[in-house]
Amino acid sequence: MTLNDEELDDFEKRTRALLEESVTRIDGRIRSRLNQARHAALAEVERARRTPWWRSFAFAPAAGLVAVVLLAVVLWAPRPGQMVPIADGASNAVEDLDLVADGETFDLIQQGDGGFYEWAVAQADAGPEATS
Amino acid sequence: MSAFATLASVYNTPVAMHGDVDSTDSNTTTGSRALNQFLASVELKAFKIAQSALRHEHDALDAVQDAMLQLTRAYADRPAEEWRPLFYRILENRIRDMQRRRTVRARIMAWLPAHRDEEDEEAFDPITQAPSEELAPPRRLELDEAMTALEKALHDLPNRQRQAFLLRNLEGMDVAQVAAAMGCSEGSVKTHHFRAVKALRARLGEFST
Repeated sequence: MTLNDEELDDFEKRTRALLEESVTRIDGRIRSRLNQARHAALAEVERARRTPWWRSFAFAPAAGLVAVVLLAVVLWAPRPGQMVPIADGASNAVEDLDLVADGETFDLIQQGDGGFYEWAVAQADAGPEATS
Repeated sequence: MSAFATLASVYNTPVAMHGDVDSTDSNTTTGSRALNQFLASVELKAFKIAQSALRHEHDALDAVQDAMLQLTRAYADRPAEEWRPLFYRILENRIRDMQRRRTVRARIMAWLPAHRDEEDEEAFDPITQAPSEELAPPRRLELDEAMTALEKALHDLPNRQRQAFLLRNLEGMDVAQVAAAMGCSEGSVKTHHFRAVKALRARLGEFST
């Protein structure tokens, strides 16, 4: 059911006539573009309809890989409340970086106050008995 | 076979040579033909509606094309009676997206005073907008002027009023169909349409065509 002319007053009838006239004046270039757009849309529907159902699983390997990666992340990520062991070398490495970056301290070590460090290492090697 | 061949050639469908017609292909072709007819029946008016809202030929074409694609992708299998309201609903959403994008772009470009929007230049290019050199008879000139005034007045209407007016008066949809296309109640459609007619009448007067 569409709008009848009887439902419109004179003003609306005139505007409708004008609008319809303006539609008839749409030039050939626009009509051609619209025609192309329509055929492109219909071609896409035909393509989608003719695609075999199994082709919709074409991305299954990629999806599987993503799922495996996600699973690995979930399994290896620390759970809430779980303590994460810190490797002994990790914090030392940062300190070493600071040491190297700080040129003054490095110079001090090189200038020969090595005796203290040698003593400290010897004490550590000897164990707790040596310090007491 | 000859009668079938004749019918098939009329509708540009491939003819089955061995008597067996695949019912799936037949249904698909029939569906596509119905969709083609539907889109052909709305494309010009849809373009006019989009152009009235966007005042830009390329944007209007893009909006109609997007609406066609989305309708065929998502709703081709729906009953044909539902296509018209769905199509215009998609089109209106697309128009609104473009208007929003244009507003955002205008705000950004406002910070760059030296920038000149090439697309806007194109939209209001006086050379392309000028009437053709062919001498028009007075009647045609009157029509041109009335049409220009109407298009300007329509563009200045609020979106919902313009949509209600054009779907009723250009597309010829009834109130229920317009309500389905606009996603609102029939009462709202009547209100928007009434206000649109009132505003247009106040703006244009009782012009004659």
